[in-house]
Amino acid sequence: MRHPQHYDVIVIGGGHAGTEAAHASARFGARTLLLTQSVETLGQMSCNPAIGGIGKSHLVREIDALGGVMGKAADRAGIQFRVLNAAKGAAVRATRAQVDRVLYRNAVRAFIEAKSGLDVFQQSAVDLIVKGGCVAGVKTQAGIDFSAPAVVLATGTFLGGRIHIGMDNQPGGRAGDAQSNALAERLRALPFSVGRLKTGTPPRIDGNTVDFSVMDVQPGDDPLPSMSFLPEPHPRQVPCHITHTNERTHAIIESGLDRSPLYSGAIEGTGPRYCPSIEDKVVRFAERTEHQVFVEPEGLETSELYPNGISTSLPFDVQVELVRSIRGFERAHITRPGYAIEYDFFDPRDLHHSLETRTVGGLFFAGQINGTTGYEEAAAQGLLAGLNAARLVGGSEPWCPGRAEAYLGVLVDDLVNLGANEPYRMFTSRAEFRLRLREDNADARLTAKGRELGLVNDARWTRFDAKRLLIEEIRARLAGVRLHPDHVGGRRFEQVFGEKLSRDTTLLETLKRPAVEIGRLVEFAGFPFTVTERDDYGAALAQLETDVKYEGYIKRQDEEIARIRRHENMVLSSELDYRCIDGLSSELRLKLTETQPKTLARAARIPGMTPAALSVLLVYSRKLDASG
Amino acid sequence: MSGLDVDTIAAVATPPGMGGVSIVRISGPAAAGIGRLLCGAPLKPRLAAYRSFRDGGGDVLDEGVALFFRAPRSFTGEDVLELQGHGGPVVVQRVLEACLDAGARMARPGEFSERAFLNGKLDLAQAEAVADLIGAASVSATRAALRSLTGSFSRRVDDLAGDMLGLRVFVEAVIDFPEEELDLLGDGKVKERIRQLHAELATLLAQCRDGALLNQGIRVAITGAPNVGKSSLLNVLSGQDAAIVTDVPGTTRDLLKVDLVLEGLPVTLVDTAGLRDTEDPVEGEGVRRARAEAGRADLVLVVCDVRNMRHASFETEAAGQIPTIVVANKADLGDFETGRIHESETAVCVSAKTGAGIGALIERVKAVVGFHDQEEGFTARTRHVQALREALSALDHALVLGSDGSPSELIAEELRVAHDALGSITGTVTTDDLLGEIFSTFCVGK
Ligand SMILES: Nc1nc2c(ncn2[C@@H]2O[C@H](COP(=O)(O)OP(=O)(O)OP(=O)(O)O)[C@@H](O)[C@H]2O)c(=O)[nH]1
Ligand SMILES: [Mg+2]
Repeated sequence: MRHPQHYDVIVIGGGHAGTEAAHASARFGARTLLLTQSVETLGQMSCNPAIGGIGKSHLVREIDALGGVMGKAADRAGIQFRVLNAAKGAAVRATRAQVDRVLYRNAVRAFIEAKSGLDVFQQSAVDLIVKGGCVAGVKTQAGIDFSAPAVVLATGTFLGGRIHIGMDNQPGGRAGDAQSNALAERLRALPFSVGRLKTGTPPRIDGNTVDFSVMDVQPGDDPLPSMSFLPEPHPRQVPCHITHTNERTHAIIESGLDRSPLYSGAIEGTGPRYCPSIEDKVVRFAERTEHQVFVEPEGLETSELYPNGISTSLPFDVQVELVRSIRGFERAHITRPGYAIEYDFFDPRDLHHSLETRTVGGLFFAGQINGTTGYEEAAAQGLLAGLNAARLVGGSEPWCPGRAEAYLGVLVDDLVNLGANEPYRMFTSRAEFRLRLREDNADARLTAKGRELGLVNDARWTRFDAKRLLIEEIRARLAGVRLHPDHVGGRRFEQVFGEKLSRDTTLLETLKRPAVEIGRLVEFAGFPFTVTERDDYGAALAQLETDVKYEGYIKRQDEEIARIRRHENMVLSSELDYRCIDGLSSELRLKLTETQPKTLARAARIPGMTPAALSVLLVYSRKLDASG
Repeated sequence: MSGLDVDTIAAVATPPGMGGVSIVRISGPAAAGIGRLLCGAPLKPRLAAYRSFRDGGGDVLDEGVALFFRAPRSFTGEDVLELQGHGGPVVVQRVLEACLDAGARMARPGEFSERAFLNGKLDLAQAEAVADLIGAASVSATRAALRSLTGSFSRRVDDLAGDMLGLRVFVEAVIDFPEEELDLLGDGKVKERIRQLHAELATLLAQCRDGALLNQGIRVAITGAPNVGKSSLLNVLSGQDAAIVTDVPGTTRDLLKVDLVLEGLPVTLVDTAGLRDTEDPVEGEGVRRARAEAGRADLVLVVCDVRNMRHASFETEAAGQIPTIVVANKADLGDFETGRIHESETAVCVSAKTGAGIGALIERVKAVVGFHDQEEGFTARTRHVQALREALSALDHALVLGSDGSPSELIAEELRVAHDALGSITGTVTTDDLLGEIFSTFCVGK
């Protein structure tokens, strides 16, 4: 049966990528259908109950600046908020929220349901309708067909999933989802390259059987941070706890290694190096006598705990023993065993920067299916894929931010160019232009663009615009106060700040000095209430201060960025046969043949690349163009 | 413009050490400004002007003709400045450095031709040649760079880059994994490591600039039977009367080394005793040394008398794996006895007396060692020095930041810039390399 409603965009999957994709598509104005196996699991957190953290919170702020769901949902569901790296500079500060799973699901579902132009339908997709190399719709389990010229596939780890607990393994999706095998078979028949990855979770523990009194308490921050530019009220806050493994734990783990699927070879997928299982940590870092375990609450209304740091696929009897060897867990009851899951993903190098597949027109991939891990990474891709699907249908050019504009740009660019050798997670060190890509300026970087793209509503835009004007006003006021070393004002400045003035300057310029804080500076300047009482005054000060303090670095990077932009526009001939270019080292020839970079900018990021080799590439490519 | 870069490049455009006029060429948007700065007044396009060339401090470095060409009517299609001076290699180098200080960047090998090509200044046939040239140039530039700086230089740059990666691992791990219990370096220790790197880099740079690490070039041994004209050949190639020449066989007894630049290729030329069996213990030792020298040279010139090529094949075999050129000397006296030459070899016919064929010999030498472009060797070193300077200045900043309590991500940024500068010598280091290093050093992740 054909469903009577025609859609512009169909999103398959109701996880973090899918919900964000559907919401973005609808914000853009496309008639959108979100197809999910279960309405109850919209926005389900299948792994650890937290949003944000280093690199990830940057993605959340960007999603938020573009009008997305994740930041607001995290605000509504966050039960402990902390700013990581608070003692470091603004670029690397990151907010992390411990999240109540149920509240989070409810929040996401509420945002999805409230969105006009967005319909939700509970059905498993079993097939894609493809016509003439382009996607045309989706078939569902009950035989209901939907037609749409663009489809976003955001189905997570449903492909070829295999769960390992000890030497037992069985097919299955994450957290017990039913497998949509028919769709998987269909996708396998399409010409996408498939790779295999692995990830794991720790056993969950009943908090009523845990002795918190022997653990370190980790309270949330005060004042309470938020994730969204338009903060939502937070629920009641609770602390987390920290405990440690010990030598006995490690001995137990070692004794169980012979029954570990990781070490017996049963698992072939590549696990993330940054998120090793506890058995991996014990084997690889044998000299460590303890490892941290973050004891995270799963929610306000449940006593279940997520012991972050002991993800494992050891047999269940070993899990029980190892958990009970940990301080505070002596009597712990495991509510769900830990496991490792292997799954297939599609090589993201088969995607455009828009996240549209190269092989099937109108088909977009987002989230874990592209080899990433993490809710934030998934949501960011979802937003981009949903937007670009809607733009495609509307006849607009695709959009993707550059590496110097957003972590979202870094994420997609890395995926599309380098693929995923392990589950891809964001880190700030992945961003060469980290100093520009801050949490605090995500709004300044993306809101105007989001408005232009049709993703940002009036409420957000008005408030953003007011903040922008406020920053300009503060800047102008500070630039307007001149200081002379020999005059009263200058001398008073020297007294207050303990800084010497060597020449005439303005208050704004003094802000460049590490010792001069903007809070004290505006106090010194004595701003009127009409300024200090405005919305976002504190945020505006912080943003201006960082902008000024980083100014020199940002300017220096401008040149580098301009060069990259130019190189991005330099397309390398697809006929280049790198094996025949004498001017390249054999190592580079090999890597180039493997990566087949589309542009000079991509070639430049191949390890071992030199400026000389780049010019060789350009010249050979132009020679081909000229003779072709 | 469609070039790789839009910045301004500079290089010495004449082979260094050749005497007479030396040209520094500048191409790019800053060329006019640099001309004004060095020559003291604006230059009119296409008009030769006789000027003093001054550095930023106003000191006269050289004087000569300045020529300015306005884009696109120039050989690269960009603004081009040519400074033709009379100073020796040291002076040219200082003029070049003044250009670099004024905002130019050291050109890569073949980059002038590359820009000409990319700006459509060359037709397709020429373009093919440029592509090949640049391809070949970047390979030989790597070799030339290695040659122009001793092996210990590249080893030390590699070591520095390795240490830099090691340090960045700590600095980045602190930023990306604040919740982990890592065995980290304290702030003091990081500062200490930066200071160490800074000191090593500064030493290396000073040594480079002193020329202490400047290799004397490839070693070319001249060998052959007595009296065939080996010493005469050395004299004519070096343009000086360095070796004693007589008509008595066995004149040369010991090794004689002369450093020179053959059309841009730095070379150490070694004259040796003529090879023969002898009772004379002094000459016998000379012959032994001659054979040893031929065994360790980068290139051997086997000299024969054009009228008697008997020894050619024997000596080339003796030279073994080392590239060899047979030089048939005294071409002014007779015919070339091809029949006697080992069949895989071809000889170059020269006359040390009249100078005939010497140019062809130099060409052959350059071809055999893979030296294609005169821009290279020398400039490769200058580029490396410039990269080291960039790295050093970033470390300077990092040190200041380390002591004024600036946040760690700024120190990390300076280290990134320094590492990238070293990477322009050793090859790009990606963020993935860095992360990989972090993961293998630390136990991170929950
Ligand atoms: N006509 C002519 N005579 C030459 C030429 N090259 C060298 N001679 C003469 O040959 C004689 C030997 O030259 P040397 O350069 O001393 O020869 P050598 O090979 O160094 O000799 P030993 O050091 O004794 O092994 C001298 O009288 C030179 O003037 C040439 O190209 N033409
Ligand atoms: Mg001699």
